[in-house]
Amino acid sequence: MNKPFENSTICEDSQLLLQKAARDQIETVWERHQAQQPQCGFCEMGLSCRNCVMGPCRVDPFGEGPQKGVCGADADIIVARNLGRMIAAGAASHSDHGRDLVDVLGEVGSGNGSGYQIRDPEKLKRVAAEYGVATDGKDDFQIAAGLADAMKEDYGCKQKSITLISRAPAKRQELWNNLGVTPRGIDRETSEMMHRTHMGVDNDWQSLLLHGVRNALSDGWGGSMIATEVSDILFGTPTPRATRFNVGVLAKDQVNIIVHGHNPVVSEMVLHAAQSEEMLKLAESKGAKGINLAGVCCTGNELLMRHGVAMAGNHLSTELVLSTGAVEMMLVDYQCIMPSLATVASCYHTKMISTSDKARFPGMEHQEFHPENAAETAMTVVRQAVENFANRGEAFIPVDSVDALGGFSVESIVNALGGSPDPLIDAIKAGKIRGAVGIVGCNNPKIKQDHGHVSLAQRLIENDILVVDTGCAAVANAKAGFKMTDAAELAGPGLQEICGALGVPPVLHMGSCVDNVRILVLASALANALNVDISDLPIAGAAPEWYSEKAATIGVYFVASGVFTVLGPMPPITGSLNIVNLLTEGLNDVVGATFAVEPDPEKAAILIRRHIESKRKALGLPAEDV
Amino acid sequence: MKKVIVHPERCVGCMQCMLACAAAHSKTKSLFLAVSEKPQPKPRVHVGVGLYEEGFPNRCRHCNPAPCQLACLPGAIFRDNEIDTVLIDPDKCINCASCAMACPFGVIRYHEDAVAPPGKTVAVKCDNCYERRQQKRIPACVEACMVAALTFETEAAAMKRKTDEISRSVSTGAETAALSPGFELLNTLKKVQIEMRNP
Repeated sequence: MNKPFENSTICEDSQLLLQKAARDQIETVWERHQAQQPQCGFCEMGLSCRNCVMGPCRVDPFGEGPQKGVCGADADIIVARNLGRMIAAGAASHSDHGRDLVDVLGEVGSGNGSGYQIRDPEKLKRVAAEYGVATDGKDDFQIAAGLADAMKEDYGCKQKSITLISRAPAKRQELWNNLGVTPRGIDRETSEMMHRTHMGVDNDWQSLLLHGVRNALSDGWGGSMIATEVSDILFGTPTPRATRFNVGVLAKDQVNIIVHGHNPVVSEMVLHAAQSEEMLKLAESKGAKGINLAGVCCTGNELLMRHGVAMAGNHLSTELVLSTGAVEMMLVDYQCIMPSLATVASCYHTKMISTSDKARFPGMEHQEFHPENAAETAMTVVRQAVENFANRGEAFIPVDSVDALGGFSVESIVNALGGSPDPLIDAIKAGKIRGAVGIVGCNNPKIKQDHGHVSLAQRLIENDILVVDTGCAAVANAKAGFKMTDAAELAGPGLQEICGALGVPPVLHMGSCVDNVRILVLASALANALNVDISDLPIAGAAPEWYSEKAATIGVYFVASGVFTVLGPMPPITGSLNIVNLLTEGLNDVVGATFAVEPDPEKAAILIRRHIESKRKALGLPAEDV
Repeated sequence: MKKVIVHPERCVGCMQCMLACAAAHSKTKSLFLAVSEKPQPKPRVHVGVGLYEEGFPNRCRHCNPAPCQLACLPGAIFRDNEIDTVLIDPDKCINCASCAMACPFGVIRYHEDAVAPPGKTVAVKCDNCYERRQQKRIPACVEACMVAALTFETEAAAMKRKTDEISRSVSTGAETAALSPGFELLNTLKKVQIEMRNP
């Protein structure tokens, strides 16, 4: 007999909370997914076009009904249009997040960023140098103002190429130039994608997809990279630190505040307020033993990386965390926040607060955070949370948390290696580590929660492949115990030896989903050290449970940067086998890497191992048959 | 005589047939206006979900003899031989649900309807678009189906097509081509995901 909800999730906390949610008559994402079945096949195949009002149109995949939209677009064009707009939406999301950070950097530079500081002045100077911003004789604030201005140019249309593309290996930059996909401006490429996919503009599916590549690169080497770098400058570059995972991080006897969303601009201030003497005293006066701030989703990952803040769960857990009845307040900013959350919260005492001027949710109280009022607003909301502690009913926190080590920026990895990537390269050359894989992306109710991430990570580390992860994948692997200091025992002998020597787990938490760029930077450093291109390295990417447009864009910039990437769920492209073939085979001749689609993580692990060994062989390193 | 024939292997689950059916049985016959009508029109064809999350347009088979007709005590259910269709007279219907209990396909619903006396809940099911047929139009679900999962043709034509399809597939040396390779690829991957959830 299966345990209840064993088919929905591999996580014990989620299974137990799904039972509780059922008792409390709470509708969850799994039930809504079931209610949506069957999902529209035209949309699943990318064969419906809603871009104009001569339509909407759809193409019959069986060939009997219409084969063209009203405008004459065939299946290839319609699928390419839809994929292009998906990439544009993903790039826009990350890059707009990045812009919000640049705005804060600019405000700090001009002295208006109440409460925000430059926590990593060294990184500020390093990045300023990359942007050609003068640092001599200037104080941090002046440099910050200059850097913010320079970064804003990256968003515009004055430049031939965005600045941080220069971090890629020279061979890769040349390949992009020859293909004509070097991004010129972050907003420009997204805007141009919307233009090209308007009726009557770009109707060559290959040229549309090439622009998709350029648009995705404008995110990976532009908007997202700026988001990560400015977050490090403002809030500190992550260093390894102990933390805890799963819903057991909620405290029975403390005020529990959950931050949800993506941008550390809000969560950092809330953390600061939650640690203030004034609020801690207030909490004590209300009978609480403290204020426990924890995260879900990527803003939690941001705090985890820099402060060791614990993570209560990933995407599919966000409703369940509320159903504990133990959360005094959930604060949200933007991205991946289900509009259902306030309905769940309304069954308990939990207060729901939205904080961004661009993201509102039904049933939430709106308290907008801006650089000039952030510190003050954070104190106001934390006070409300503390005062809400008295209203807590019966709480259900069904499991104990899992320990983990997080906080692996490129800087801290190089540090752990003793100041240079050489020991890692030596271990790869010797075959103790066969290669490295980035497991990234979301949860999706189409895949049993965390099954894709955890099974894949387990198979890879068993086979001496180092795993780095971000986002909801990182939370999944931590919940599974792969980031405990003694998790090296789960790895193959070679990886175990290296992890033991360095005192790191076999799965390294590299941050939030914008922090996927840390993986790009690390891959570039390895490629440069070996004097090869990224596509020559024994590395791969995987998004076993992806759901979002952002993840689609990440996948494209990984592949376009030369990283073979395995997706779990199929993107909406099967309406065009031309496009399926291009993405899974043809791209190899264009960018030296392809996508593969394999929902079964056991098979995905084999695909990845085979790829890694083939790259080892091509580099002249000892290789195995898989 | 032409009738609606269902080809389940072609259904992509878009539910366009349900929308078209509801609109065809509304007062205004316009989807945009129909959504604000009272009573709200409802579809007579119902897209269900199979084991592998595939769609299936479930509609009345217009059985002969029809179990619903045999079970109907007030005699509200009758057969129109001209279009070979089992119909329900909403004036005679007493909303007793006997027909639904007798129906092996679960296609009978109970609600208010544009053609029923105002405020009266009656048994409602597919009428093969009786009204449209009077206007020499084909049933709305067939018209809406872009993938030919619902066709309107004579039984003989449909049978011949299927027979030829089967015959071609057993021709010596014949390669069996997928109906739609892309749809097959998608469904194969979806099946993997579903089986991982329900081992």
